[in-house]
Amino acid sequence: MAIRTIELSPVTRIEGHLEFKVEVEGGAVQEAYASGALFRGFELMLKGRHPMDALAFTPRICGVCPTSHSIAATKALDDAFQAEVPPNAHLMRSVLLGVENTMSHATAFYALFGPDLVNPKYANHPAYGELNQRLAPLSGTSYLGAVKARVKLDEIFALLGGQHPHGNCFVPGGITFKPDLAHITKALVILMEAREFVEETILGGKVDRWLEVKSLADVDQWMGEGRHAQSDLGLFIQLGPQLGMDKLGRGPGNFVAYGVYDQSDGQPWLKRGFFDGQFHELDQARITEHVKHSWYQDYDGGKHPGQGETRPHLDRSNSQKYSFAKSPRYRDHVAEVGPLARMINDQDPLVLDLAQKLGPNVYTRVLARLHEAVRTLAQVEKWLHQIDVSKPFYHKPRHPKEAIGTGMTEAARGALGHWVQIKKGVIESYQVITPTAWNVSPRDFMDQPGAIEQAVIGTPVPDEANPVEVQHVIRSFDPCIACTVHLIRGSKELKALEV
Amino acid sequence: MANLVWLQGATDNGCSISFLNTHEPDVAQLIRRFEVNIAFHPTINPTSGPEAMRSLEPYAQGEKPLDVLIVEGAVQTGPNGTGEYCIVGERPFKELVQELARAAHYVVAIGTCASFGGIAAAEPNPTEATGLQFHRDQRGGFLGADYRSKAGLPVVNISGCPAHPDRLVHTLAAVLLGKGGAIQLDEYQRPLDFYGSLTHDACPNNEYFEYKQSAEHFTDKGCLFEELGCKGPLTHSDCNRRLWNLHSSKTRAGSPCMGCTEPGFPDEYVPFFETVKTRAGFPRKLPLGTSRTTYMAMAASAKLACPDRLKSGKNKKK
Ligand code: SF4
Repeated sequence: MAIRTIELSPVTRIEGHLEFKVEVEGGAVQEAYASGALFRGFELMLKGRHPMDALAFTPRICGVCPTSHSIAATKALDDAFQAEVPPNAHLMRSVLLGVENTMSHATAFYALFGPDLVNPKYANHPAYGELNQRLAPLSGTSYLGAVKARVKLDEIFALLGGQHPHGNCFVPGGITFKPDLAHITKALVILMEAREFVEETILGGKVDRWLEVKSLADVDQWMGEGRHAQSDLGLFIQLGPQLGMDKLGRGPGNFVAYGVYDQSDGQPWLKRGFFDGQFHELDQARITEHVKHSWYQDYDGGKHPGQGETRPHLDRSNSQKYSFAKSPRYRDHVAEVGPLARMINDQDPLVLDLAQKLGPNVYTRVLARLHEAVRTLAQVEKWLHQIDVSKPFYHKPRHPKEAIGTGMTEAARGALGHWVQIKKGVIESYQVITPTAWNVSPRDFMDQPGAIEQAVIGTPVPDEANPVEVQHVIRSFDPCIACTVHLIRGSKELKALEV
Repeated sequence: MANLVWLQGATDNGCSISFLNTHEPDVAQLIRRFEVNIAFHPTINPTSGPEAMRSLEPYAQGEKPLDVLIVEGAVQTGPNGTGEYCIVGERPFKELVQELARAAHYVVAIGTCASFGGIAAAEPNPTEATGLQFHRDQRGGFLGADYRSKAGLPVVNISGCPAHPDRLVHTLAAVLLGKGGAIQLDEYQRPLDFYGSLTHDACPNNEYFEYKQSAEHFTDKGCLFEELGCKGPLTHSDCNRRLWNLHSSKTRAGSPCMGCTEPGFPDEYVPFFETVKTRAGFPRKLPLGTSRTTYMAMAASAKLACPDRLKSGKNKKK
């Protein structure tokens, strides 16, 4: 038997189970229901444990983005223990998180989103042959290049943090590893390799030149130079609007970012904020979680995760409830999280210009992701240079018996928060809000659909046998979940597809 | 040509991610050189939804040979035995495992969750999760102690949280090269090649261990066993002999081994970051096979014999 070409999606299509029901009528999606189909109960397991043990448990919520969980847990304990974190440790944490998030972005584009560009729907497009050659799963030149670059980048983890996934180097007060200068230089060499891949394949030119692109007009100019237009990014910039991606998947139009990548002074490199057309300070006290449509014991309205509870109650007779995901809301608003939200709240000039002129949509979301990846990779290099191996990487904090802590950071796919309460020296309560919970949340107490649900509602489905538009929308969020989408008309299931 | 089905239950996908880091062969080479047909993997799948579920049927029914079934993640049997905490294709995951295990020539549990329950089954085990053929260190688990795959073997456990990619890839390679029968398993059904020695073996802190020089705080020079909770001398793994991502390991990066390859992980190895001690100040759990008296005698003479260059405080980096 001949060997089959399989679609290998290294990272981002996975993490748990999601069932997505989409009702189509009149050539467009009328209703959408995102249902988390796996309950694991971490919050219940953590109660009564040694606070430090959260550092080992919580990264195992997600093997795709364990570092973001490690960092959220570490920061929650930094906060609870009032740890003094040395500048070197901030830098090391940001380097490792930056590497993980960049790998995730590359995978999101090449393994998750890319294969949709070679969907049969586009077979007559003049670029189709070229796209196939580059993006076909497991054989495309860019695809294979990205897989290799990812494994290589992961070596930086081992060099500075022991292993990936699930090293355990992040601790309140710093990091467990004190590198030699040779570790730093080796990491820099690996980064150079990654930069080569980015310049060769993604940009078709220099990273520094791309970082000068600050507006849509700059993009046009950049496209006219050298090999830029033939690069993977260049191709996407041409194709996105041609394929109508700038009209798809608007979403709620509100954006939450927690701030991420602490620099040597402890301040985040990418700013936190809430954007609803205006920029606002983010007040974490205004984050709540709702369970009206989730399989948990009911309570009214929303609860702040600091007071949150997790009491699963799978009651299939209650037709209002349809997910193991809770519904996080900010000031009762549905919000999108992820690279677009981060770039907007950071007031990145390029992404702001794109969002203002084109609005949030599949195209801007994907561009924001690629742009952030390039920005972050360049920044990681700077952080590595700032590490001073002669200075400390850890200060032991006190371990108070009673404390509360909040740890907020960003995974590749968006805002991640951990809330811990310590009593009598052990964990009294622990709540986690993942980025995917923000984006794929079900309806809330006010019955507002979640972010992806909103983005999918209204999406045209010209061909019910091949609803690639819906796939574009869901994948533009990089939901990090094996997600089955059921397309329904009336009571009849038309099609189910794995996203 | 070998048909391989990979199922995911209660897992964080860490083992799949770890698998993708394999070198020699890398994933593409594995598929090409060994003619592996990945007939099903939730992430790698060519088909989807009911179509994908249907693609499993010929394997479950024995119409097509299922050479290897890999299960990642624990089997959740809750709530109340229904298995509804984990739904795959609108069915409880546990039913799928049951059907395919019946048809498979080899069954491999990848990771500690699938092997023994692991993190997914940590106390109070809120989702009633269990390993394929063990529940923690008790034989039985989901498939029962007597289960044998068609090749006559019990479930092969490739434990670790996550498992090192070599452990899976080279177990597969042995099977695909017709050497499945030569795989030797330990009492917990783990291949001895990978689990026959301890994490402690080949740890660069061994010299400090030998002379009982302990790191008191993270980033200090010294062994992590006596203060910082290292379980390396109690844990079967090749982490320090094989290395992760070609370069390192937890203990090489100053992080304690957590015992993640063992059936008792996590609950028997907590706290992870500090060492529980006896009143006399010795670690309560000693290196496998040592007795308290011999350990104490060894520690006392080791400290006496310690060369200056290793003594705490004298070997700090400038
Ligand atoms: S750090 Fe752990 S594995 Fe390394 S020598 Fe010490 S006890 Fe052994």
